[in-house]
Amino acid sequence: MNWINENYMVILTIAGMALVTYLTRIVGFIVLRNRSLSLRAQTMMEAAPGCVLISVIAPYFVAERPADLLAFLITALVATRLPMLPTVMLAVISAGLLRRFLG
Amino acid sequence: MDSKANSETDSKLMSETDSEAGSPVPVKANTKAEFWRGIKASVPIVLGALPCGLVLGAQAAQKGMLPWQVVCMTGLNFAGGSEFAAIELWSSPPHALLVVAITLLINSRHLFMGAALVPYLGHLPKRRILPALFLMCDESWAMGYADARKHSDHGMRRAFSMPYYLGLSASMYVVWSSSAGLGAVIGAYVGDINAYGFDMALPALFLVLIAGMWKGVRAALPWLVSLLAGSLSCVLVPGAWYVMVGTLAGLIAAWFLAPKGGRS
Repeated sequence: MNWINENYMVILTIAGMALVTYLTRIVGFIVLRNRSLSLRAQTMMEAAPGCVLISVIAPYFVAERPADLLAFLITALVATRLPMLPTVMLAVISAGLLRRFLG
Repeated sequence: MDSKANSETDSKLMSETDSEAGSPVPVKANTKAEFWRGIKASVPIVLGALPCGLVLGAQAAQKGMLPWQVVCMTGLNFAGGSEFAAIELWSSPPHALLVVAITLLINSRHLFMGAALVPYLGHLPKRRILPALFLMCDESWAMGYADARKHSDHGMRRAFSMPYYLGLSASMYVVWSSSAGLGAVIGAYVGDINAYGFDMALPALFLVLIAGMWKGVRAALPWLVSLLAGSLSCVLVPGAWYVMVGTLAGLIAAWFLAPKGGRS
């Protein structure tokens, strides 16, 4: 592949990423939009958002560094009580401080 | 159709706040106000996204990407998780097929996210939805969805606020691509931003959203399954499989736990 300009590979890769990502965004919607779902399927779709969210942050539940795990647990506790902005700020501050002092 | 005439009628219909609920219910006002509400709501997310974007840009620069390429990637893709993974796999020249495949895997959760919006947006014509879906990332989807849930819980029709969602997404979009571009330029000076704890902003956001969706233990059981499966997968299998494994496990659990019934 020596004759292909490296920039073209970069552009190709980026274009490929963009296309694939956009497809993931629209296909789910398009496929389900004109279907009526059974009660069972509806329940499943209602649970889906929480499943996706918690799966994305799953690694934080099994963080190896004690500082990371502790900061995350603090964040989880705070999230049940405080609104968005204070929670995010406390999360960042506690992570920063705990990493500083626990390593 | 969300034409101007309709939104004015809507604001007349929904001008009373639900004072009995105790906490102020966000009332669906006009389009411009909703757009600004979205931008305001994006602030906590953007505070976390900015340093993450800088880090992404810096890492991309280290792997040989030029700033304009970083802006293109983040501007056309707008999905941070897959971008971090792509950068990790990046070489000179990049292995296009591999990177695209990983992007597909990591972003496959968008399929479920798009599907979840059907009850709220299915009535709108494709030409309004498909462009809006371009900006659907974890955060904008989660916040738009949570906002719609809150409105529909209070009995509001057409609960999803498109201008709110667009304000939210547009703000994030601008910050994300520009911070990534900036990070690529000032890369060497960014240093270890994670030491300051900024990466904890995303889990914080997600945890608040999950807490907001709580509807009792039984409804949350699939989430527990997702958590267990995802964590296990994360520990046992390297790479981003845990997202899909966790999601699918939770969906299967939800299927089995669901009450059986007829079609709606």
